[in-house]
Amino acid sequence: MKLASIPAQIRHNGQPHAMEPAMVAAPVLAPHAELASFHFQTVTWQADGFGFDATSGEFFTASPTALMVMQALSEGMARPQILERLTSRFQVTRSTAERDLESFLAELVHIGLTPESN
Amino acid sequence: MNASPVIAVTGLHRGENPQPGSAVIRSLRRVYPELRIIGLVYDSLESGLFSEEDAPDAAFTMSYPGAGEEAFWQRLDAIREIECFDVLIPCLDAEMGPLVDAPEKLRERGIHACLPTAASFKCRDKSKLDELCERTHCRTPQTIAVSDVNSLHQAAVTLGGNVFVKGRYYEARHAITPAAREAAYWHMLEQWGAPVLVQENVLGEEYNVVGLGDGRGHILGSCSIRKMLRTAMGKGFGGMVVRDPQLDAVAQSLIAELRWNGPFELEFVKSEGPQGEYCLIEINPRFPAWCDFPSTLNCNLPAAALELALGWQPREPLRHASPGKFFIRHAIDMTGDIRDLAALTTSGQFFRQPREVIPHPASSRSL
Repeated sequence: MKLASIPAQIRHNGQPHAMEPAMVAAPVLAPHAELASFHFQTVTWQADGFGFDATSGEFFTASPTALMVMQALSEGMARPQILERLTSRFQVTRSTAERDLESFLAELVHIGLTPESN
Repeated sequence: MNASPVIAVTGLHRGENPQPGSAVIRSLRRVYPELRIIGLVYDSLESGLFSEEDAPDAAFTMSYPGAGEEAFWQRLDAIREIECFDVLIPCLDAEMGPLVDAPEKLRERGIHACLPTAASFKCRDKSKLDELCERTHCRTPQTIAVSDVNSLHQAAVTLGGNVFVKGRYYEARHAITPAAREAAYWHMLEQWGAPVLVQENVLGEEYNVVGLGDGRGHILGSCSIRKMLRTAMGKGFGGMVVRDPQLDAVAQSLIAELRWNGPFELEFVKSEGPQGEYCLIEINPRFPAWCDFPSTLNCNLPAAALELALGWQPREPLRHASPGKFFIRHAIDMTGDIRDLAALTTSGQFFRQPREVIPHPASSRSL
């Protein structure tokens, strides 16, 4: 199994479009049942995967996996810790998780949710 | 002045390209339901006349701005002999010039208005935006004013070919080919006169700020939105409240530089990419058609403008609208009666009567 590596959709100009085909998303655990909402950069994410950026007015949806990664980033976790959390919560090999995480982080930079230094 | 002031509002047509007047009336009545409001219209089919909720109490036809300033003031005086209104809220760009150029004509008639000075009005002219933006360190697309077809094509080439052709007061068309440019040029010239403006096309999301300036450089209240939906003409048909300190700062610096008095709308495009900057497209010297939306969020700018014009204490404080609230336009059919049209067409005036209720046949059947 692989991670659903990125927010599945971004809403842009009122027209939703897929950013990349979602990979497979089947978390072993319901990853964020305990989560109400959290802030990642300028976006407020809800437990159901809906994110709203109050400064730009854009809104996003994210897969459970993507949500987990962003929450980890918001807590200041480093990549090895995030990989640890991913492999413990999802049925995924470390190499697949590593590849999908890199791809997802690049996507975050591309849509402006994290600066390139991250 | 009347014991309870009478307010005149223009721009009541909410068609494909909605005018702001009906939204202004609706906002005023949210805070001052007792106000008598009259509409000054240019066409007997302005849709706001036939609305149940935001129609004026009476309406009068005006002479077109093209008929000249003398005709404008004469018609205003004739209307005031019937309805001596105390406050004028102009909602159309083409009306603003004669009013800001001659505030004494309003004063000597005892008409209150919340208008910018002639100097600040001219500084926000589309052809002067680059000078204003240079002073305020704000980005703006390169714009060239043209008055003949050769200069039109030359300007378009200078700006990379992909341009907007804009009317002096209103309207813009995206034009890529020479034929499209030329068609847009003739249209703008016919509608709005010379010069026609050719503007570089900046790609990005559109943001608008509606606000009220106090004439001393401060913003009394404002609301910023991202356009969510656009019509084929590029007009916003839906918008979501945003709160970006960067956008607030740009708006504040522009209004401070202009010492703007009265309502305004700032139109921006935020260039694409994480480091996108707000790029000022234009400044409208009036309320936009969406100005009633912030009024539903405790930011009633038309009511505040009325209070500013009359020197009244605010009845309700202006608050910040919450990010995430949005509006979407919903076009519905207004109904009228030929007698309403006849009154406006023949006498140039129309006084609102209670609606005739036509019972449905089924409702009179006994069970």
